[in-house]
Amino acid sequence: MENINSGDTAWLLASASLVMLMTPALGFFYGGLVRKKNVLATIMHSFFILCLISVQWVLWGYTLAFGPDIGGLIGGLDWLALRGVGMEPNADYAATVPHQAFMVFQMMFAVITPALITGAFAERKRFKAFVVFTLLWATLVYDPVAHWVWGVGGWLRMLGALDFAGGTVVHLTSGVSALVAALVLGRRKGLGSEAIEPHDATMTVLGASLLWFGWFGFNAGSALTSGGLAASAFVVTNTAAAMAALTWMTVSWLHKGAPSVLGASAGAVAGLVAITPASGYVDVSAAIVIGLGAGTICYLGIQLTKRLRVDDALDVFGVHGVGGAWGAIATGLFASSAVNSAAANGLVNGNPAQLGIQLVAVAAVVAYAAVMTFVILKVINLFVALRVPEQDEVLGLDASQHREAAYTI
Amino acid sequence: MEFIAFGSFAILVVAWLVAPSNKGEIVTIEEVKKAA
Repeated sequence: MENINSGDTAWLLASASLVMLMTPALGFFYGGLVRKKNVLATIMHSFFILCLISVQWVLWGYTLAFGPDIGGLIGGLDWLALRGVGMEPNADYAATVPHQAFMVFQMMFAVITPALITGAFAERKRFKAFVVFTLLWATLVYDPVAHWVWGVGGWLRMLGALDFAGGTVVHLTSGVSALVAALVLGRRKGLGSEAIEPHDATMTVLGASLLWFGWFGFNAGSALTSGGLAASAFVVTNTAAAMAALTWMTVSWLHKGAPSVLGASAGAVAGLVAITPASGYVDVSAAIVIGLGAGTICYLGIQLTKRLRVDDALDVFGVHGVGGAWGAIATGLFASSAVNSAAANGLVNGNPAQLGIQLVAVAAVVAYAAVMTFVILKVINLFVALRVPEQDEVLGLDASQHREAAYTI
Repeated sequence: MEFIAFGSFAILVVAWLVAPSNKGEIVTIEEVKKAA
């Protein structure tokens, strides 16, 4: 136990708590964007996943993601039900904190990732199908990709791919899977012919603000120590979020004639997504450029998705898929060993090969997540219909799936 | 990189100055929804 650092342990456990808050915050962010007949069901998606993956992770998720490597592809079952994951540090991952502290910090990432996808199929997915999908997706997509990128022996880690806090593992996987889910489930009834509007924009702004707050744990916590690297990650995270919010609001203002409040909120989230993989490798100037790019590229991505008539209900692909890809590529552009001596430089610092590695990581994660999500959804659909019946969709998911109402006054 | 960072922010400031303002043509929430 003499290797345990109390400051590092306190910071990591506090960060795990911050990241835990992000999932209910996401529920409120999404909940405000749907119609009031679906708000409880939307919040329930996030809250239920917090519970479901908390159990899945300790039973088999953690060992698949971080257990002893098998062929660079997956972790072994040595740590099933946290066998051998105790209070002693595991020097391979975090040498100064209890292994269980690292495990629970990673659990919160595994929790929020499938929750992000729920925005794509909001207002029409059957709850039972959602439950089965989440369990299979976490096991067959999240856990392997987390091992590829972060697990000791993972093939993308061995290749040299940089992903400080989850640009590929969390955001690219969920964003691409969201697009596939939106395509497989189809458009909501009435979309384009009747008004489908956010029922409570204030709830969404509050959710975005809490996401921003929690993201300090997500990124600065990923330093796994409470030193200078955590402080640097904290600063660039805040800077990129602010810059992307300003940019998105400005682009939408020029495009649609008014500075959108919801646009500023979505922009902040896009900036947080984009800085995530880069947050431990770039300085504050690069964070400003990354935020500018996120606010612009993600906005354009959403316009393209809408033009293609894909009903990604809450713009998960535009924010998390596009933002995650931009962040991973930007890491290959702007990474600096002056910020993090353990990392390679990026293109602008004289190492163009890093950009190539980042592109390989993006391509591999996109392809794997897309194919696996499609297969999972099609297999589930053989046993449980993915969508609710039309009359249930009209009635709303709160009543039809949960027999509850959000607002009774 | 510092120059690009300052330039990025300057672009936004200029955009805010030239961005359109509501000149009174929209006065009800129904008109806002119709415009959207």
